[in-house]
Amino acid sequence: MAEYSNSKEEYYRLARRKRMFAVVCMVLTVVAFFASLTVGFYKVSIGEAIGIISDHLHGTISDIQADSIIFNSRLPIAIFAIIAGAALSAGGAVMQTILRNPLADPYTMGISSGASLGATIAIIMGTSLWAGFSNSEFIVVMAFLFSLIPVGVILLFSIKRKTTSTKIILIGIAVMYMFSAIVSLLMVTASEDTLSEIYAWRVGTLALVSWGDILIPLVGTVGCLTLLMVSNRRINVLMSGANCAQSLGVDPKRTTLIQMVIISVMTAVVVSFCGTIGFIGLVGPHVARIFVGSESKMLIPASAAFGSVFLLVANSIASVSGPYGLPVGVVSAIIGCPLFIFILIKMRRNAWK
Amino acid sequence: MESKEYEIEKQEYHAGVVSKILFIIACIVVLVVVTTLSCSVGTGYGFLETFGILWDHITGVELEFRSPEWWADYYVWNNVVPGVVMALVAGAGLALAGTVMQSMMENPLADPYTTGISSGACLGAVSAIIMGFSFATVASGMGIVVNAFIGALIPAVIVIMLVRYVGNSPSTMILIGTALSFFFNSMVTLIMITADAADLQSAFLWQIGSVSKAAWSDLPLMVAMVIISSILVQAVSTKLNIMSLGENSAKSLGLDVSQFRMLCLILVSILIASIISFTGVIGFIGLVAPHMVRYIVGGDNKFVVPGSILVGAIVLVIADVISRSLYVFGNVPIGIVMSFIGAPVFLYLIVRRKSQKEVF
Repeated sequence: MAEYSNSKEEYYRLARRKRMFAVVCMVLTVVAFFASLTVGFYKVSIGEAIGIISDHLHGTISDIQADSIIFNSRLPIAIFAIIAGAALSAGGAVMQTILRNPLADPYTMGISSGASLGATIAIIMGTSLWAGFSNSEFIVVMAFLFSLIPVGVILLFSIKRKTTSTKIILIGIAVMYMFSAIVSLLMVTASEDTLSEIYAWRVGTLALVSWGDILIPLVGTVGCLTLLMVSNRRINVLMSGANCAQSLGVDPKRTTLIQMVIISVMTAVVVSFCGTIGFIGLVGPHVARIFVGSESKMLIPASAAFGSVFLLVANSIASVSGPYGLPVGVVSAIIGCPLFIFILIKMRRNAWK
Repeated sequence: MESKEYEIEKQEYHAGVVSKILFIIACIVVLVVVTTLSCSVGTGYGFLETFGILWDHITGVELEFRSPEWWADYYVWNNVVPGVVMALVAGAGLALAGTVMQSMMENPLADPYTTGISSGACLGAVSAIIMGFSFATVASGMGIVVNAFIGALIPAVIVIMLVRYVGNSPSTMILIGTALSFFFNSMVTLIMITADAADLQSAFLWQIGSVSKAAWSDLPLMVAMVIISSILVQAVSTKLNIMSLGENSAKSLGLDVSQFRMLCLILVSILIASIISFTGVIGFIGLVAPHMVRYIVGGDNKFVVPGSILVGAIVLVIADVISRSLYVFGNVPIGIVMSFIGAPVFLYLIVRRKSQKEVF
């Protein structure tokens, strides 16, 4: 009996710790959100920033310049950073879980290369195919459409045949390679200026986000995150391997494919607006996993919260580095990589063995 | 009874060995033919004409200074042949490195760049091209090469140092390599986004990989490294076989796995650095060539190693021919041709493979 109550206490203690991590991350997100409003070349304090926003909402704008910087530029960027961080990191967490591979990230299925190809074609064409779209909107549409092609190919190959998760990864990589080859060919033949525009798109930046770009990613991310959370038990079961999952009443192939489609849509809506921001989808889940373990019910929200904080902070640093600011993708890799190696060393062996 | 069965097995084994040796001889013949053929493509001379020019050069026929024959000889010998030789040597070396890497990482998806070598080389080259920073003088033309060489070795050294703390299981090495690739790539990106458009283009072209600017002076280091490494790897090919049995079996067969893995890593790193610092990062050949060979000769590294070297050389020489014959459509570097060949082959390998273990 004593042992039982001990282990029961232990369990509750661990559960509390896991909740603590998620709560701390969420609090940090709020703090980082307001802090990021103040960071930049136009300096304001947190209080002033909140004042400016509330002025705008009450329709009493006192300083038009400050209002346009804080409300129309930094606020949408900060909101987008939260959305993108949550989507990429949670997507990475689920992808790593269902494929049982620590190197999987939301781009494992080739979404980034598809989006790059779409955007590259749109940038090289320089115009829009459909009347009423500007070129920048056309880039978003093309990136979105093309980013889903690799997923389609994977589905095509795996619906009829017997598929293992390794095979899914490999097909994703193969499609990714093919798309990258086409993108490289287009980039080599492109003019110098077009090349630098394509390059900038591929690195990924939040600096150009405006209010008009928020709605679709927000709806997409919230919707897909809800779907992932609803099926968190199935995702857990998949972790134990295909045979085990089958005997527990979960069709491993169907579940894997469904979750993959959800992740792909979620990633695609974010990436087509901001370019392919790397690293967060790989490292975010690893950090969260250290604190909350691998159970999806806690891992998904914890990853999402950590991803948001990380991307907010990285974006704030990016926006003040260099004369014109840097793309957030670069900064997050430069911060994230040493962090990742530190974690590896600290843990001696990765959590997967 | 037993001895009879044994005899049959022995005969089958020898039959297998003969067919594998035949495959390797066939590869040598194909390589020689393809290489000589490729010297005439894109030159405007016919095949026999080119062959005559080469033959005259090798046999040392005296040509009148600045006569048409002299120009033809000058053009073919100094502009075409170095590129062909570089493609051949680079293909051989990259395929060899891929074979070793796949065996030591126990991972069919490993390629020569798995530990981040390519991203380090890119950082070195890009910093020379764009920022003019170099360990040698950029003006001498060796700046990019020296930088790429040193840059390529940095991730390798970091991996070797970190492995002391985290243990050198393949999965850890791949994780560290991936993290380092991300890091160096982001540094490359950082430099590239600050560059003006023209510098960006030349840096981008370097990253894709090309042999079109090869000169005779680029070749000695590369050739020497490829020959030395081929001999060394062939000598330890049975150890590679043992290694792919897995950590525990290898240990019980008396192989110090982690030490051997370290030695392999060092050899591969220097080999790759000496190649890609001249050619740029040519992808796929190191990944695909060993698979093609394993598909034909099976998993015995005694045959896979020479087979990969030959097949890698053949494939890259062919890619170079395609790249040169596409010149009417603009400059299509060998790296892009290679990825267009490699990606479908890779997909085919995956889709038709029945189980994960078939080639390993």
